[in-house]
Amino acid sequence: MKRIIFIISLLVAIYLNAKSQDSSAVATKDEVTEVKGAVDGINETVLEMKSTLDALKKIKISGYIQAQYQVAESAGVGSYAGGNFPQNVKSRYQVRRGRFKINYDNDLTQYVLQLDVTQSGVGIKDAYVSIKEPWYRAASLTAGVFDRPFGFEISYSSSSREAPERSRLFQTLFPGERELGAKIELAPENGPLSYFNLKAGVFNGVLSNANENDRNKDFIGRAGFQLPFDEEGLAIDGGFSVYTGTVTANSKKIYEIDNSSSIKKYIVDSTITNLGNGFDRNYYGFDLQLYYDVPVIGGATLRGEYIWGKQPGTDKSSSFYNPDAAGTTDTKSSIDGKKVTDIYMRNFNGWYLNFVQNIGLKNQFVAKYDVYTPNKDVTANDIGAVGSNLNAGDIKYSTLGLGWIYHWDSNVKFVLYYDWVKNEKVNSLASGTLAPFKEDLKDNVLTFRMQYKF
Amino acid sequence: MKKIILTLIIAIAAFGFMQKGETITVKGSDTMVILAQRWAELYMSKHPDVTVQVTGGGSGVGISALINGTTDICNASRSMKKSEKEKLKQRFNTLGVEIKAAKDGLAIYVRENNPVDELSLSQLKDIYTGKTTNWKQVGGPDTKIIVYGRENSSGTYVYFKDNVLDGEDFAPSVQTLPGTAAVVNAVSKDKNGIGYGGAAYAKGIKLLKVKKDANSTAYAPTEENVKSGDYPISRYLYMYTRNRPTGAMKDYIDWILSKEGQEIVTKVGYFPVK
Repeated sequence: MKRIIFIISLLVAIYLNAKSQDSSAVATKDEVTEVKGAVDGINETVLEMKSTLDALKKIKISGYIQAQYQVAESAGVGSYAGGNFPQNVKSRYQVRRGRFKINYDNDLTQYVLQLDVTQSGVGIKDAYVSIKEPWYRAASLTAGVFDRPFGFEISYSSSSREAPERSRLFQTLFPGERELGAKIELAPENGPLSYFNLKAGVFNGVLSNANENDRNKDFIGRAGFQLPFDEEGLAIDGGFSVYTGTVTANSKKIYEIDNSSSIKKYIVDSTITNLGNGFDRNYYGFDLQLYYDVPVIGGATLRGEYIWGKQPGTDKSSSFYNPDAAGTTDTKSSIDGKKVTDIYMRNFNGWYLNFVQNIGLKNQFVAKYDVYTPNKDVTANDIGAVGSNLNAGDIKYSTLGLGWIYHWDSNVKFVLYYDWVKNEKVNSLASGTLAPFKEDLKDNVLTFRMQYKF
Repeated sequence: MKKIILTLIIAIAAFGFMQKGETITVKGSDTMVILAQRWAELYMSKHPDVTVQVTGGGSGVGISALINGTTDICNASRSMKKSEKEKLKQRFNTLGVEIKAAKDGLAIYVRENNPVDELSLSQLKDIYTGKTTNWKQVGGPDTKIIVYGRENSSGTYVYFKDNVLDGEDFAPSVQTLPGTAAVVNAVSKDKNGIGYGGAAYAKGIKLLKVKKDANSTAYAPTEENVKSGDYPISRYLYMYTRNRPTGAMKDYIDWILSKEGQEIVTKVGYFPVK
């Protein structure tokens, strides 16, 4: 009997144990399935987040602020170092540039919008769309508001440029740097053609913030090269640029220099058919940049540009003729009682040389010299001479700038820069608005700038 | 006025010339981080007056740091792009100095028990662009391929994209991981996984042979095959400096290129350039 009870007990125990093991295995299996489900869920969430993150990574935000303090040699001077000083103002604080740029970079396509926020308000600097061909990724088409493809200094960012401002030459010929238009760019990344690049486009020929005002379009293009000599620590870049366009006269009076006369002066062509006609605005330019890694001290660069051509301007300004420009003070004549702006044609040239020496990691020494001759057909002595009708728009200027840059970190830099501005001294008999130019104007400017860039 | 300007200039210059001592900072490629650490450890043991600080982050991060002036040496598993050189030129007026420090076969990882032994470049491209999604399509079992890759700041990512995918985009299903070690770890635990990275990291996983096209011979990423160029996805590992190196940095780089430095390359699992 005892034996039977023992066997039955044993069988019951074995049965219970087996049942317990079965239920434990089932529980473990359930747990594994649960964990696997949770991991799959996390994977799905991660993949979902990744696609969102990838889309966000395409948005690139950058910008910089240039806050500066300036002291002019005398109050109320005209200046190309950040704009004219108001009357009675000798020193000032400015937010010279306050840029905020959004770039949606979808690899082959780009959306770019850049705003400039300063004490003067908010303006649009860049607003363009760019498309790159997918096969060689060497050619792109850009349309909207963007830098004019001429020379070197225009497209060299103000946040990177060592001198606080572009040369007087560029500020006069290409105010605002940007224009409304479309361009094609060829810049192969690899192969022998990677040493060359080409930018060419068609533009309205007015200002970036103005609407087209005539039926003509202007062509701007630059063919460039980049030659690296890695072993020597040397690079030579350069290019040849062309601007060929027209301005449309809203006046019949077109002034040109009379070269046959002993006294250089403008003579006027008042043919009625001049009204509404296009007049040449043609520039040509060479630019060259040398880079050299000076042992121990650091990298140095010497950059230069020479530009010449024909500029249709006004009597007081050698900037391009733009009768719609707001706030113009140019002398007007009148047609049928309506005020119109006469055109003054000038053959001009100008150049600059800019030397920058990096000293260690944080310091840079800058020296720049630029010359702008708005009317190369006349001399200083012709301006203001008896019988001459030349004016302030014909005066030649040169500027020597010296400066020091200290890079506090990768975001912040300080710039200390001094501009010695020289105007040519006009004829001693000059009177009226030309009289002050018998001497060198006291228009030197000291700039102390702080920049934050991200 | 002139005196004030002169004093300011001298003060700023003097401040800028303050030296930090003999510290060399190295930043960049995750592929090279182990190699760079070994170099640094051995060099510092022999030159106690010099400190070499090594960090990863990816080749793109290292190149950005070089351009920003926050590292002395950038390690990169790809060469610098034209646009990156332009940025360096803008800030420092130099082209940068490129030093080929080692050679690497970009290995294709699968788990050890994966029956697939070799793939062609076009098969790899199809897997990573999402055209091939099942191992059966490339001679394996009928299971989904789980694809692992690197983040886009990685030089390995860029090299793979340019040289294997011919510039095409990675499929959205590719799971990006922060570093080659993470890719190796993921593949070693995933029987359906495939990944890519430096051969030096390949522990506990199988390296596939790779062939240029369907009719070519497949080669493993061995020293012999990488050096001869038979292995189709091999590359140089670079070091970049802003200027021609001088002083302690020059000594360090010269040592890396010396017999002793190149022996470390072999020990870590890459291939010497000399």
